[in-house]
Amino acid sequence: MNKHGWVARSLAGGAALALGLTMAGCSGGNGAASRPENEIHIAMYGDAGNTVEQKIIDTFNATSEVKVVLDKIPGAEYQSKLQTIIDTPTAPDIFFNWGGGSIKNFVDADLLLPLDDFIKEDPQLKDAFLPSVFETAVIDDKAYGIPMRGTQPVMLFNNSKVLADAGIANPPETWEELLEDVKILKDKGITPIALGGADRWPTLMWVEYVYDRVAGEGLFKKALEGDTSVWESEESRKALGMLRELVDAGAFGTNFDSVKFTDGGSPALLASGKAGFELMGSWEYSTQQSSDPAFAADVLGYSEFPKIEGGLGNEDNLVGNTNNFYSVHKNTRYPEAVRDFLKLMYSDQFVQEQVGIGNLPTTTNTEKFLDKAADPEYAKFQFNLVKEAPSFQLSWDQAYPPEATVTILTAVSQFFSGQIDEDGFIKAMQSL
Amino acid sequence: MTTTLAPRRRPARQGGPTKGRPASRGGSSVGRPGFVWALPASIFFALFALVPLLAVAVLSFTSWSGLGDPKFVGLKNWEALFEDPVMLQSLWLSLLFIVLGIVTQTPLSILLGVWAAGNQRNRAILSAIYFVPLLLSSAAISVLWRALLDPNFGLPGQMSWLFGDGNVLGTQTGAIAVLIFVGMWQFTPFHTLIYQGAARQIPPVLYQAASIDGAGTVRQFFSITLPQLKNSIITSVILMVVGGLTTFETVLILTNGGPGTGTTITAFHMYQEAFRRFDFGTGSAIALVLVVISTVISFAVVRLSGYDKMRSSLEGL
Repeated sequence: MNKHGWVARSLAGGAALALGLTMAGCSGGNGAASRPENEIHIAMYGDAGNTVEQKIIDTFNATSEVKVVLDKIPGAEYQSKLQTIIDTPTAPDIFFNWGGGSIKNFVDADLLLPLDDFIKEDPQLKDAFLPSVFETAVIDDKAYGIPMRGTQPVMLFNNSKVLADAGIANPPETWEELLEDVKILKDKGITPIALGGADRWPTLMWVEYVYDRVAGEGLFKKALEGDTSVWESEESRKALGMLRELVDAGAFGTNFDSVKFTDGGSPALLASGKAGFELMGSWEYSTQQSSDPAFAADVLGYSEFPKIEGGLGNEDNLVGNTNNFYSVHKNTRYPEAVRDFLKLMYSDQFVQEQVGIGNLPTTTNTEKFLDKAADPEYAKFQFNLVKEAPSFQLSWDQAYPPEATVTILTAVSQFFSGQIDEDGFIKAMQSL
Repeated sequence: MTTTLAPRRRPARQGGPTKGRPASRGGSSVGRPGFVWALPASIFFALFALVPLLAVAVLSFTSWSGLGDPKFVGLKNWEALFEDPVMLQSLWLSLLFIVLGIVTQTPLSILLGVWAAGNQRNRAILSAIYFVPLLLSSAAISVLWRALLDPNFGLPGQMSWLFGDGNVLGTQTGAIAVLIFVGMWQFTPFHTLIYQGAARQIPPVLYQAASIDGAGTVRQFFSITLPQLKNSIITSVILMVVGGLTTFETVLILTNGGPGTGTTITAFHMYQEAFRRFDFGTGSAIALVLVVISTVISFAVVRLSGYDKMRSSLEGL
């Protein structure tokens, strides 16, 4: 046998095999029959909160013939892993998500089960939740997600001891007060605001809030619907100008691009008194609590994002993670069992367990459990913020589908570090 | 990979024996391994290297997010790739990383390797300690250095004469310097090992003859040790080139490609396109570019250095 002939043939064979595998990979994703019998799989963002999810599942499994199985995926890889399995035969029946852009592509690819029929049979699946939260997972007028876990609004946290030492009596209520506080703290040699710029999404929170206060929630909604001209508007430029002013005033110090929130860098700045403020999601509280319970209970302060005079946005508007959701794959083998499981998401047991670990569910029965929260005062403050907010904007990086995330985060971080100017930022956002 | 060159050589072979190929090929192949011997390795290579490579080649002409079926889009991904400023920048950055990696790691590992090949006091213990970084995972190393370089609570806070305001990873120069340094810290032990082994193979008679002729340690190093290490240097450099092109974990954890796109090297760009933007078509195209570049560079190094002729540096001994 000729050697070269063999090589050529094996190459051809390899090519055919490769194509075959590719095609096999593509044709997957159908058929409920190939799914495991009497099992419902949940793809879950893996973190410390999973103990509560497991408790709820245990409650369900105690009486159900179809058993629910929790498949935990490490948080940082969750989105990537989900995207690669969702259109294969091993896709989960139920999966954790953030609503909005995080499920938009799945809806467009016709992979999700609209939950409207479930809601018709049990209206509580919708009515038991705050409407502003439930709306996040409504796409093309169909409901695709049931809220679970809790709401996570972004708030301005402070080290009350640092503020008191600097003679700042109250957290800033207006933008001007914020700029004044920045100046006072800076003159005292303290980084006014801790910012985990290396993670990039903490930087985005500042952009989201200033845009919302200056231009109102409508600007981003229009941009999301495809009207990219709004980024060039007068309000957009005003918001960018104010952010530039804040950065140039030294509000974040000079090395924020080397600091991370996720490795504990920026929370430590706040806790150690090296910084006065930090804008962060409600999880700041549990982050501080796990490293220093006394600081979280006695020193950590919190307030709403300051209002901006002359801005079009309501001063009570919020940004952040409106909630987490469970969505359902359309190929699930046991839709009735899935429906019954989802009903537990507004049960007293669920709400009580979540409140116990510091999460804040947005159900109508949440209020009666707030006194049992880890810190009732903090839980009530948060719950009222969410209840009173005329608009609760989902974080931009979650509102857009995942392919836009890199562009958004790169643009905000480059804008803050001065690598691009206002025009550069506008151009980047218009490219989405 | 000789298959592409083989047909041109064929006429020459009929003229007479070239390159020592036995005439008995294809007949009774006594004592000469047939291709069957290579079958297990070939199948393994085909299944885990060639097949994925071909699949990636096919995917690079499609638009696919992992949902539904890939759609053929012709050359669209490739055209976009050549107009993508980040892609172009990433290639330059990768080149910079490779060059800086070679420049920093090679001299250090040759010196350490030659030193470790001797039999000084404490050599074994110090070598073992120095070997430790190689045993740690890249992820662990990155997390470790990330924490050490925290501007407020790490080294920069204590050493402002070196780090200034501590914004080490917030500037492009600083971030590149950190990645090169961490790469050096991590991989020098490995290359040291290569040179240590090679230096031990150098026959002592060469040094004995040289010292009789009056050559000092430095002269011996440059006239005997370095030339004798030539093949090892080529091996080590090829590994650095390929390793440099595929550097990924340290970038992901230490800088996340930033500040901005300041350290977005090609391999990280590929990951970002495929697994963050879920554009597997573009990601596959970048992967192919990486395959082509690393193949070309490796071939070039092998050719230019005469490594392909496998000439022994010990002839006559």
